[in-house]
Amino acid sequence: MTDAPVNLAELLLAFARLGLISFGGTNVAELERALVLHHRWIDAQTLANGFALGQLMPGPNMLAVTHYGYAAAGLPGALTATLGFYGPTALLSAVVALVWQRHNKHPWVVAFRNALLPFGGGVILAGALVLGRTSVTSWPAALLAGVAFLLLWRTGANSAVVVLGAAVVGALLGL
Amino acid sequence: MTRARSGDNPTTSPAASPTPSALARMFVVVALAGIGGGLPAHTRRALTSRGWMTDEAFAETYTLAQLTPGPNAVNLAAMVGARLAGRAGALACTIGVLTPGIVAMLAVSAVALGQAGGLPPAVQSGLRGAACAALAVLLTAALPVVRVGWGVRGGPVLTALTFLALGVLRLDLLPVLLALVGVGLLIHRPRPNSEKA
Repeated sequence: MTDAPVNLAELLLAFARLGLISFGGTNVAELERALVLHHRWIDAQTLANGFALGQLMPGPNMLAVTHYGYAAAGLPGALTATLGFYGPTALLSAVVALVWQRHNKHPWVVAFRNALLPFGGGVILAGALVLGRTSVTSWPAALLAGVAFLLLWRTGANSAVVVLGAAVVGALLGL
Repeated sequence: MTRARSGDNPTTSPAASPTPSALARMFVVVALAGIGGGLPAHTRRALTSRGWMTDEAFAETYTLAQLTPGPNAVNLAAMVGARLAGRAGALACTIGVLTPGIVAMLAVSAVALGQAGGLPPAVQSGLRGAACAALAVLLTAALPVVRVGWGVRGGPVLTALTFLALGVLRLDLLPVLLALVGVGLLIHRPRPNSEKA
């Protein structure tokens, strides 16, 4: 962490960009590239912590950005990051929803959708890889992630419950 | 509140037009119910049970929310709001769905990040455990997205290339997006009569 004060305008722009380029909701790979590697506002551990906390919060799980903003620049940073991440995308969505009803049969719109879907899949897998490099650093951690995945995938358990359970296991094991 | 009706749109036939503040209240409840995911499902139930949106209209809005950049659950809220109550509705729904989580996250962040000398070891270990499960959550969310992307023509190749470029090589997103979505557009272009310059 640097002790230099974070420029809030820069923070706003960075998070607005991150919001607008996350397809399918989560672009952890780019979050890490921008916040950890490029701006150095947070470290990899904070990135993983915030993502985990985001799973436990009411509402969208990418509220991790509020945590990252807080880590970077306190309460103003948290509010700035949240506004930057959600504001432009929500505005865009509202506009698209109003325009869509007239153009949803346009062939180029269909082509764009088909071009975007595989990209979204790749983005989300890349995010899993980046997050895994930080979170899964030992065999017990790998096992815990595996068990959690099987529980979620096979039983459809509530993810907040699984994440809380994993937190208890982690504390007991001293991960 | 009178809305300009688009007349010949069969997908929007709400029993009543909700006010922005009613929508905001509904989304606060949806957010609280949606801890641990499933926000779209909660949104659908809340809307259809009130008779504010038909199943078809919701399905279309949900697909659209998948295609716009940004967090799906919030995009969905903004779109629902725009559709039911215009600009004020979009704003009300976005604020409604975000507020409970923002308040909770601010409180947790203040505690977690305000500790001099970092968190107690047990808490940090617990967070590491939670992070492992969060990774699993991300993977389960990835499965349907990858499956859909896999299904379109050229999908597997484009998915793999995107993963390699962003995850393994850590390239900048924008050039990768332009290149790979460009290739996708070429593959799926509507009619093969587009002149090459």
